[in-house]
Amino acid sequence: MLVARGIFQLAARRGVHTTRILASTAPAAADASSGDNLILNFSLPAASIYRNKPVASVVIPGLAGEYGVTKNHSPVIAELKAGVVQIVHETGQAPEKFFVSGGFALTHANSVTDIAVVEAAKLEDIDVEEVPKIYAEAMKDYNAAAEGSKEKVEAQIEVEVAKSLAGALGVALT
Amino acid sequence: MSAAATTYWRIAGLTYLQYTSKAAGVLRAALKEPLRTKTMAKEKIFFKRLEWSPKMIGQPVGPLKVEVTSLK
Repeated sequence: MLVARGIFQLAARRGVHTTRILASTAPAAADASSGDNLILNFSLPAASIYRNKPVASVVIPGLAGEYGVTKNHSPVIAELKAGVVQIVHETGQAPEKFFVSGGFALTHANSVTDIAVVEAAKLEDIDVEEVPKIYAEAMKDYNAAAEGSKEKVEAQIEVEVAKSLAGALGVALT
Repeated sequence: MSAAATTYWRIAGLTYLQYTSKAAGVLRAALKEPLRTKTMAKEKIFFKRLEWSPKMIGQPVGPLKVEVTSLK
């Protein structure tokens, strides 16, 4: 009978949901229990912009719309559109802005948020003069391309990203 | 007219990687000079490939780098 109880306990321990085991062995930083901060991982394919950084909130440009994440946000997986990621490091500060071309953002139940993008740049690193030129060039290619062709779609991608860039920088497009 | 069940780029035959790489390319083209040349270099993707055969033992290995163009 004692042996049977031991087997049940072993089975119960093995049957415990994986995420609970992982959570108990997660590094202390991932608990995010310090204040009202969430942990941010903001990365590019070859480099990490922020890793395990406690921040107050992030505004993420999701495909369905921009949304803000603070501590204890419900878990989300969102595909990103070309837009601006705004990171508020401490409540009350002005947000730090990065223009991203697209990617994915995951918010986990333990308030860790991962943003994985292909390319990101600070707004001050973007050439304001270039954006209307890129837009004009892309519109020309779009109008000249055949309906449903690959060239038209590639031009459409350029038009959309150029429009987002112009919107983020406050540049007027003709 | 009903809404498409999928994205415009998928309909035209692009994969997500091609779409996202194109969008990143537009952002890189809009950057200011020193950062721009640095990040433009990221667009070049190479892979190295080697088919081994016993003849290669003791021989120096020739040029292997192949540029990946499928994401352009």
